[in-house]
Amino acid sequence: MKRFWIVLSMLLLIISLLTVSTVAANEVIIGSPADARTLFAMKFIDLATHDPISNIYDPLITRDRETMEYIGHLAKGWEVLDDLTWEFYLNEGIKFHNGAPFNAEAVKFTIDYINDPDNEMAYRGRYSPIHTVEIMDEYTVRFHTTEPMPILLDRLTSCYILEPGYVTEFGETHASLNPIGTGPYKFVEWVQNQEIVMERFEDYWMGTPEVERVIFRPIPEFSTRVAALLVGEIHVIRDVPGHMVARVDSGRRTEVRGIPSSRVNYIALVNFQEGPMQSKEVRQALNYAVNVQELIDFVLDGSATQMAGPLSVINPDHDPSLEPYPYDPEKAVQMIRDAGYEPTQLSFTLDSPDGRYPQDREVAMAIADQLREIGINVSVRVNEWGTHLDRIINRNTGEMFLLGWGPAFNAQGTIESLMVTDRTYSGFGLSWLDEMVAKAVGLVDPDEMREAWDEIQQLVYDEAPWIFLWQQHDLWGVNSDLDWTPRADERVLGFEMRWND
Amino acid sequence: MQRYLVKRIFQMLIVVFLALTAVFFMQFLAGDPVILLLPMDATFEEIAEMRERLGFDDSIFVQYFRFVSRALQGDFGPSLRHPQTAIQLVLSRVPATLELALIAVVVSLLVAIPIGVISAAFRGSWFDQVAIVVTVFGQAVPGFWLGIMLILFFSVTLEWLPTGGRGELNNLILPIITLTAFYAARFARMTRSTVLDVLNTDYIRTARAKGLSERRVLYKHALRNASISIITLLGLQLGQLLGGAVVTETVFYWPGLGRLLVQSLLNRDFPVVFTGVFFIALVHATLNLAVDLFYLVVDPRISYD
Amino acid sequence: MLGFAIVLIVIISSLFAPFIAPSDPNQANRPNRLQPPGSPGHIFGTDQHGRDLFSRVIFGARISLFVGLVTVLIAGTIGTVVGLFSGYFGKWLDSVIMRLVDVWLSFPFILLALIINAILGMGLRNVVITLIITGWVIFARLVRGEVLALKNRDYIQAAKALGQSELKIIFFHILPNVFTPIIIISSLQISQIIIAEATISFLGFGVQPPTAAWGNMLSDGRNFLFNAWWMATFPGLALAFTALGLNLFGDWLRDTLDPKISK
Repeated sequence: MKRFWIVLSMLLLIISLLTVSTVAANEVIIGSPADARTLFAMKFIDLATHDPISNIYDPLITRDRETMEYIGHLAKGWEVLDDLTWEFYLNEGIKFHNGAPFNAEAVKFTIDYINDPDNEMAYRGRYSPIHTVEIMDEYTVRFHTTEPMPILLDRLTSCYILEPGYVTEFGETHASLNPIGTGPYKFVEWVQNQEIVMERFEDYWMGTPEVERVIFRPIPEFSTRVAALLVGEIHVIRDVPGHMVARVDSGRRTEVRGIPSSRVNYIALVNFQEGPMQSKEVRQALNYAVNVQELIDFVLDGSATQMAGPLSVINPDHDPSLEPYPYDPEKAVQMIRDAGYEPTQLSFTLDSPDGRYPQDREVAMAIADQLREIGINVSVRVNEWGTHLDRIINRNTGEMFLLGWGPAFNAQGTIESLMVTDRTYSGFGLSWLDEMVAKAVGLVDPDEMREAWDEIQQLVYDEAPWIFLWQQHDLWGVNSDLDWTPRADERVLGFEMRWND
Repeated sequence: MQRYLVKRIFQMLIVVFLALTAVFFMQFLAGDPVILLLPMDATFEEIAEMRERLGFDDSIFVQYFRFVSRALQGDFGPSLRHPQTAIQLVLSRVPATLELALIAVVVSLLVAIPIGVISAAFRGSWFDQVAIVVTVFGQAVPGFWLGIMLILFFSVTLEWLPTGGRGELNNLILPIITLTAFYAARFARMTRSTVLDVLNTDYIRTARAKGLSERRVLYKHALRNASISIITLLGLQLGQLLGGAVVTETVFYWPGLGRLLVQSLLNRDFPVVFTGVFFIALVHATLNLAVDLFYLVVDPRISYD
Repeated sequence: MLGFAIVLIVIISSLFAPFIAPSDPNQANRPNRLQPPGSPGHIFGTDQHGRDLFSRVIFGARISLFVGLVTVLIAGTIGTVVGLFSGYFGKWLDSVIMRLVDVWLSFPFILLALIINAILGMGLRNVVITLIITGWVIFARLVRGEVLALKNRDYIQAAKALGQSELKIIFFHILPNVFTPIIIISSLQISQIIIAEATISFLGFGVQPPTAAWGNMLSDGRNFLFNAWWMATFPGLALAFTALGLNLFGDWLRDTLDPKISK
């Protein structure tokens, strides 16, 4: 027995010698729920892939972090020559990490690369209306499109520019694992599922970044991620749930920084099958019957803003004349009766993902409870994410499903994708609405566009294809000593960070 | 002996092949991989085109034939998500997986065998009773709960150990404790009951009757006989640990095979799933074979033709 | 006997859950969410929906025991039959079955959970199906081993010599003799299955909400370990307590029923 105690105390001694020492290096470690898929720009962009990519590569255009208006980045300016032609003027003297110059050639190469079907780029569909990129001179390019493409600027905010010589010489696989861009951080090392390390690019054209190294570390389990943040092993995490805000704020080293995001959450009311969901009155009634503010207060702990219609208030195309549906259960019951139904006869299935959006499953259950209060029977069906998408694509969901959408900075991206009959992830369709959207998509004149999308928003508001819920607030868990303000477009850029002394 | 070995290896290959075939056909039930490769504003046409490019619109049997003929040449294809090939991805996880599994098994045995033997030798004593309760709880606590509690205590409250990751020795401590809690408990119970069984055989009674000391009976005879069952269990558990430490790997973000397999499944990256299953099935079958051969060495009563 | 008492308590509380639980386990009261244990009317506190945790633990016993019992019953039956035939007939049948068992054991069980989930959706029934499909193997192995040891015994040989049919020998002479180990392993398996249910929930394919089962309560609670420790702790304790009871019960069964071990 004595020996046991000796061994135990030895063990404890070893453990205490091994304990974590926090070295004050000038680096920022960002904890993410998943590893990147690739580091080749434009191949796939989910958040976990986009985060490191947006630090290594630069887009042509970006958004002002306050107003979310377009501002030049690699392109210093642009001009619309006619409905089908855009001209971009590029910044001069920018270098890739390998020393190659950034110029019109790189822009053309990138767009051509995306549009070549053999390259199997996930985002080809977003750029396919661009049929040629014409090099006017070293720093001027002209985009020729097959159809009017007012959404082009939005697309270009996430079009990261590749180095033509490097990709051609070494091939895509090598470039995926050893990326070269013009961005503020140079790639150092990627140990799969452990970390992606990058160091600052001294010759960055906007100035040398403050933070020397940026590291992305995938930590799948939420509790572990928070623990790592609390003890200072990592410095930034996304999506702190509302109920954890107080805990993170009370941490010695940590705090929560929130920002209203452009991402929206909604319940689709599926009108593809015969039944009560095809009645506009029933769909409106459901909007009256759900107490959105109560959900925000008690399920999300306040971290969302109720929305009127399908777009968030920070979406530039949002129509400010709309007001959220008020909570009015009596009116809801009356409307359902007027439509020829009795609330207690109605029985719906609500499909929800689990852990994809803030408290998604909890929200679905709370909505089911609220609708039950006026007699509607709603059963929640929780799905694994892939299964959830399968159901939506195969039009195999219940009468309702929960989904989120973003970043959303224009009307087309949201309304065309989610409310037009033959779109992949749509839950709704009306032939006259399909036609109106198709017309609006082709408009280039800003005033005409505004008018068309405002009208559509009002009609959509009235048709109630969704239970309009809210725009998310992104809650970032951040080390208190880090000087960094989150952005509405979900980007996490090392260039915008610095350590307080 | 040689004939036996050849026969078993042949059977082993059939087993691995069957496992792969089963997984291959199951992928068609698990869902469409293509939708997870494209953004959510992709149109049906884009999805259909990508499906065609990747060969997912061929008939199941054409795909199966293609898969088998490639696999026979050792080519499991590229990952659908990552730039590497499926084999590269799986192999890159093997060191971390082996490291965790082997250390966990060894530590578990070191903890479990003394507990099991002492429990059996002093059946009904306070030590035995405490051991029973502890081992039951060890098996009754879900790994994820224990793991997170360990992190809360050792990482957050005491700030002694890192929350996870891999690289240094102290990254290993918490995952090993989590795994050991379960496996040591299982081994200890197993050891206890086996030793008890052995102690009651005529053979031991004879040994005792011959006047051998209790200690000698215990170590020389009982433990030796119990080792057969322990080795069997060991082979089985090691095989399971290679693919099955998913929970521990997830909680402590340990870059192991189990996590790769689960992620690949959820992302429907089927080539990686096949390769992972292939690897696990192969190791499993090899371990089974090794265990059977071990019997041959340890127990002269067993013979294979 | 302590084991028996614990098992009895769990069974009684699950049978009489509606009378024991102070409130409806699925009744949400969101303004009152995440209340600590001991707050008025909630001795175990409340969860993220403001549901009474004590009531959920009591009702959870039903689902968890149901999952454990049904799985063990069905998987045990399948495994026993397979093991009996495999062990008794031996030769090629045994080889085939044992290699099948190998395939089974090398098959990642999450893959199975995922596929069943994709075909049938999430839910209690599908959790049970997953656990049965993975669980029978243990019984098959165990029974086969026992049969191998039994089949050369004199009385079996005698029955054979008397010209009794093979099936009769298997079910009337061998089965009764392997019953004891089956019962013992069953009592131990139940707790393992309840934990497996928790693991399935952790991986995201568990019992559908709002149904309370210890496994999904534990899995949900893990996200609240920093700010509401009670959510995972009470179902965890209930699970551990039950496992302890079942194990002690199994040991006791072993000691009383197994003729090899004398007191």
